[in-house]
Amino acid sequence: MIPAEFDGLMPVVIFMGLAVLLFFGGHFLSVVLAPKKPSHLKSTPYECGELPVGSAWSMFNVRFYVVGLIFIIFDVESVLMFPVASIFKELNEMGQGGYALIIFLSFISVLIEGIAYCWRKGDLDWVKSFQHSLKKETK
Amino acid sequence: MFLQLLFISSALLTVLCAIGVLMVKNIMHSCVFLLGSLLGVAGLYATLGADFVAVTQIMVYVGGVVILMLFAVMLTGGKDFISRAQNLLGLPASMGNKLTYGVGLLVGLVFVLTNIKLLMGIAQTIPSKMINNEFPSTVSQIGHLLVKDHVLAFEISSVLLLGALVGAAIIARPRKQN
Amino acid sequence: MNQTVVSYLSKYEFYDSLLALFGNNQGVLAFTIYLLLALIIVGMCATIGGLGTYAERKISADLQARVGPNRVGPYGLLQFLADGVKMMTKEDIMPFTADKTLFYLAPLLCLTGVFATLAVLPFSGGFIMADLNVGIFYLVAISSLVGLGVFLGGYASNSKWSMLGGMRGASQIISYEIPVTISILAIVLLAGGMGFGTIVGQQGGLPHQWFLFHNPFAFMAFFVYSVGALAETNRAPFDLPEAESELVSGYHTEYTGMRFGFFALAEYIEVFVVCGVAASLFLGGYNIPGISIDILPIQAVQFVVFMTKTLLLYYVVIWIRWTLPRLRVDQLMSVCWKYLTPIAILNLMGCAIWMVVFNGKSIAELVLGGH
Repeated sequence: MIPAEFDGLMPVVIFMGLAVLLFFGGHFLSVVLAPKKPSHLKSTPYECGELPVGSAWSMFNVRFYVVGLIFIIFDVESVLMFPVASIFKELNEMGQGGYALIIFLSFISVLIEGIAYCWRKGDLDWVKSFQHSLKKETK
Repeated sequence: MFLQLLFISSALLTVLCAIGVLMVKNIMHSCVFLLGSLLGVAGLYATLGADFVAVTQIMVYVGGVVILMLFAVMLTGGKDFISRAQNLLGLPASMGNKLTYGVGLLVGLVFVLTNIKLLMGIAQTIPSKMINNEFPSTVSQIGHLLVKDHVLAFEISSVLLLGALVGAAIIARPRKQN
Repeated sequence: MNQTVVSYLSKYEFYDSLLALFGNNQGVLAFTIYLLLALIIVGMCATIGGLGTYAERKISADLQARVGPNRVGPYGLLQFLADGVKMMTKEDIMPFTADKTLFYLAPLLCLTGVFATLAVLPFSGGFIMADLNVGIFYLVAISSLVGLGVFLGGYASNSKWSMLGGMRGASQIISYEIPVTISILAIVLLAGGMGFGTIVGQQGGLPHQWFLFHNPFAFMAFFVYSVGALAETNRAPFDLPEAESELVSGYHTEYTGMRFGFFALAEYIEVFVVCGVAASLFLGGYNIPGISIDILPIQAVQFVVFMTKTLLLYYVVIWIRWTLPRLRVDQLMSVCWKYLTPIAILNLMGCAIWMVVFNGKSIAELVLGGH
């Protein structure tokens, strides 16, 4: 049995801890060294010299959300493919390469259908997706 | 020693951030607390030795779902959710009154106790079966299971994801306003 | 179980005497070694990040027939130290409309995401902090924290420029993660494992043993990975989140002093990490041609080989920045979803078919008839 200290978890945690330490250390240094002369004008959001009108927190376009949705689905697909890909070579050496290939390719081909559908329907266009669907509905 | 520390800190992170998600009034801060909670869960998986599941948790939930939630909040403009009515325990009013809390507590207790009972049973019987040195890592074990025992589930999951993709595209597609 | 730098060192005799020095406490000794090496790596990467800013300015000056920084130190080499000191001594300004908590938190997320990736970067055969079984998968996953940091930085500033930059940045980073992940999958398929040790170990020191020249699909995957990685690190020509001419400075417009410094540091280290990953996945990593014995001095040479490859790629990244014009947002999205992702999927299928048809042999092995 290998002691837990040899396992890879500890370095990961240490690096994350170092990031936090560096962050607060840098903040501390900046608190010590930096001047503090706050003024209202200085802390207005930068808009090239104009006084800002309204908040920047406004409603954003739905296409960002669509990109997020498509991303998550591809993300999950790639997560499922990772373990299969990492044993693909092993299976191939065991003489089960054809079987693994069929499984793998049929999985990917469904993925391709999805991307082809979105492409065909104009969901992958950044600008056109609106004009595309509007044009179709007005026809 | 290290694993115990990691377990305790991950568990604390998970629970405290989960409480934070409920308690905080700003919805953006709720999202960030959720991020902490999900990271804590990933830490818990890592302490259990399930490295692949832990990384999947980070990849899908932290890298995907939380960003999607932030985008969804930005669809509405972000800041207008700040005033929510509060009640008992400082929780939002929409989450119920004393009666619902009482019933919820009871149900939760029963649920947890049955789960403990079940898990205790599993913990006593399974380990000899679960721990085998046939595979060099959990990843290769998962891969072999996906390709051999659960190949149908693997293939069907791609169809499920295709359905999700098409559904997402259709729902998010803009329609003409009348 | 996972290989780590401590389990590597424990093969040598001096480890036992060190262990005796620490009262036979494995945990404390392991922690000390990890911490020391982590500090060395972080210091080195911070220096490389700092020198990266210097290199960026110097190379851009060369490309534009200017002189560039030449005042601080010999050839202006100490410019990055001066910049660092300047950042610390600048006032921290926070917009009064900002979301203060998130404004503090955003640089931390970027920094954590980037630093955590350093843990699996294979500097040499033994000097890899943690050779996790899920190495490359872990790296891809944890670096998505950077996207969150970029988005939250843009959101929390409550400035229009920042908000636009943050939204663009987050959507760009998550979009380009897909072709990058699928290109990496092709390499995982060829190597038969996700750990960096496995992937680099499957390659050799000479170019024909690299995965880059393993088959035509892997060759294309390298370029898909490079383009995607440029976009993921917000480098030109994909620097839309911080496009100077349209968004002032994007998601970090409102960040001053040290907090801006963290964003910049994270970005430059991320470029280094991405180059390192490209070097070890496609370009043979730390392998030295013709040498396969494993002693400590060899590790140093391996380290030099790895750094040479990585820094050459770093140079290419800077070179691209000052050569190519910036893309438009719609072009950015169509490049990702209509070109890179289908090509990446094609590469993956091609690699899988190649593996089965040619029984895992590379072009060189087929032509030369095995090793």
